[in-house]
Amino acid sequence: MTERKGKHSKHLYFPLSRRHFIKGAAAGAVIAGAPAVLQGLTRRAKAQEKGVIRMLFTAPTMIPGDWTRFEADTGLKMEDTVIKDDPGIFLTEVEVNDAGDRFDLISTLSGVEQTLIDGGYITQAETGSMPNWGGMPDSIKGIPYLVRDLSPDGGRVWGVPLAMNADSFGYLPAKLNEPRPPEEASWSLVFDSEKTMGRSSTGDNYIYLWEALAYLKNIGKLEVADILNPSPEEARATADFLIERKQAGQFRNFWKIFDDQVADMKNGEVDAIRCWEPAVREANKAGGDWVYANAKEFYTKWLHAAYIPSQVEDRGNLEEVYTALEWFLSGGYASTITPLRGYLNGRPDLATEYAARNGMEDISTDMDAAQEKLKLKFAKEDFWFSAVPTNLQEMQAQMDRVLNA
Amino acid sequence: MATALPANDDFVRRLLPRLPAGVWSLSGFSVVWFGGIVIPLLAIILVSFFQGRGIRINIDPTFLQYERFFSYGGVDLLSRSVRIAATITFIELLIAFPFALWLAKGCKNNTVRLLTFTALTVPFFLSPAARVIVWRSVFGINGVVNQALLGIGVVDEPVTWLIFSEFAVHFGFLGFFFPTMVWPIFLSISLIDNDFLEASNDLGARRYRTLVHIIFPLALPGVVAGFVFTFIPMLGDTVVAQHMGGNNVLMLSAQVQSLIGVSNFLVAAALAAVVLGIMLAFQVVLWAALKPVGGLNEVFANLRR
Repeated sequence: MTERKGKHSKHLYFPLSRRHFIKGAAAGAVIAGAPAVLQGLTRRAKAQEKGVIRMLFTAPTMIPGDWTRFEADTGLKMEDTVIKDDPGIFLTEVEVNDAGDRFDLISTLSGVEQTLIDGGYITQAETGSMPNWGGMPDSIKGIPYLVRDLSPDGGRVWGVPLAMNADSFGYLPAKLNEPRPPEEASWSLVFDSEKTMGRSSTGDNYIYLWEALAYLKNIGKLEVADILNPSPEEARATADFLIERKQAGQFRNFWKIFDDQVADMKNGEVDAIRCWEPAVREANKAGGDWVYANAKEFYTKWLHAAYIPSQVEDRGNLEEVYTALEWFLSGGYASTITPLRGYLNGRPDLATEYAARNGMEDISTDMDAAQEKLKLKFAKEDFWFSAVPTNLQEMQAQMDRVLNA
Repeated sequence: MATALPANDDFVRRLLPRLPAGVWSLSGFSVVWFGGIVIPLLAIILVSFFQGRGIRINIDPTFLQYERFFSYGGVDLLSRSVRIAATITFIELLIAFPFALWLAKGCKNNTVRLLTFTALTVPFFLSPAARVIVWRSVFGINGVVNQALLGIGVVDEPVTWLIFSEFAVHFGFLGFFFPTMVWPIFLSISLIDNDFLEASNDLGARRYRTLVHIIFPLALPGVVAGFVFTFIPMLGDTVVAQHMGGNNVLMLSAQVQSLIGVSNFLVAAALAAVVLGIMLAFQVVLWAALKPVGGLNEVFANLRR
């Protein structure tokens, strides 16, 4: 830096000529762009690295805290990446950004198989290469979206279960004078209750419009021909209902991500909220008295599944990929994901024995409660979550109309 | 003006024809700009007139995507977004100009100036969400402000509109975009030679007259830059409206995210085209507003003095 003294003024300035500027800009551009270029050039090589499984998730809650157990049990290293759980984001990552080049496994809510199959983006998994598959209960093997258009008897499936749950909502039973589970509570606490006026919340995308639609169907306010594929008219009628409730002051906000749910509960913004079960656990860790509802009307039943990208077949690490899939069907995953999140994997029956063998705390109570809970909740008729309903875009457009109102 | 290459740069000399470096860099930049910015923008405008689903597009010209966008509350969305961005930009200007003037010409203490620089710079090192989310615990139902209001008896119940409201979004933007307005104005005012100010004073001008006739015209490049760096990014902000507005106050960028989330790329393209139109209209307004003072060229000519 040079000091220049004028007659009446004194300025400090950098002797920056145009040439210096151009050189600097060019060097800066090269330095700034190099990581992206190098990443692009090496991404195929990265996915082929031996002993490492790179997996794409669409929900952070599928990750069992850390991967210590996975690495100890399989001898593999796990590198996870989480993107938002919108079907458009996931499918763009797979279809446009060639996720299969960079990931050994991709996972999302089951129901997208047909799109992935039609595009040739995933390959079938051999159930014979996953010994734990055989012991999986028929109730799980029979989940419609898991093995869509396939005969599981043929020994090949498209998706391998990671974890499942039946979603409802969280509420404060003492404050609202509502019963605690196992007694049932109504979704009205979220959508149209004077008790929770201005203190309820739901999500901001089409899934939550779908749930409002299921609520209206269950209380007899809306005729719905096919709950799995709502028509544009049904979506519009549901949006009208939500707009009416919004304008009446029912909703405190419309959350976007998991952290928003937890923040709403921890900060005392709401008394009832459509949320993921782990959010209730997080809020209670901070001293809350939240319960996750046994819902009167319906549950959003879902399953996250893992898929093998087609590119893996030529990559030479298929054996390691099956080792990873087998772990997700093992007591190792079950014994971590259930106590942590309340979710069940494909083989919850292996968890207690695994925990005892590995010197973990006794988790039998957690496992029994989770299995009992799911047995009860999965018996409700409505409804299995299909990630891509036919009128997906219309449903989101109607939800946007609610947010814009 | 031709610029000679350094003598020891024989390799470059052989590789390139004897053209000025400026021409090369300008050409290179133009190619990158055209390929990286203009062509994608034109592509977005083009596909907004097609039909399709997901990434599959049928080349079948239509206004359907625009009809859909406007039928799903697009007018409300656009007017709300522009109204909020324009309001905040104007408020930022009112606050930032005197602050920048003080920082550039009034503050004589180097420690204070350094601390102020740091305070203006540090937020850029934090994630945008972290810069905003802290206000939730301040303005929330059980937040600091509500506790204070309840404690001193001003209210009987917590004030709910402090967060998840338009007020909250305005407030969030105010802090978020303050540095982007201050920095260009500060730089512009810093370049004003003190001789001008002393001359104005010597000729008997009062402070207000010096401000209006000397400082403000010479600081106009910074004001224009601050306006651009504040207004336009605000229209594209994805953080403040979500975290402070709780999706009760939907803005343009959230709508784009929502459309992309369900692979509705064509309506998203139509929305982007509409936003481009707003930007062009904004340029026209800016051009018209600066015409009385000689237009954009004259305003930036000040920087060459």
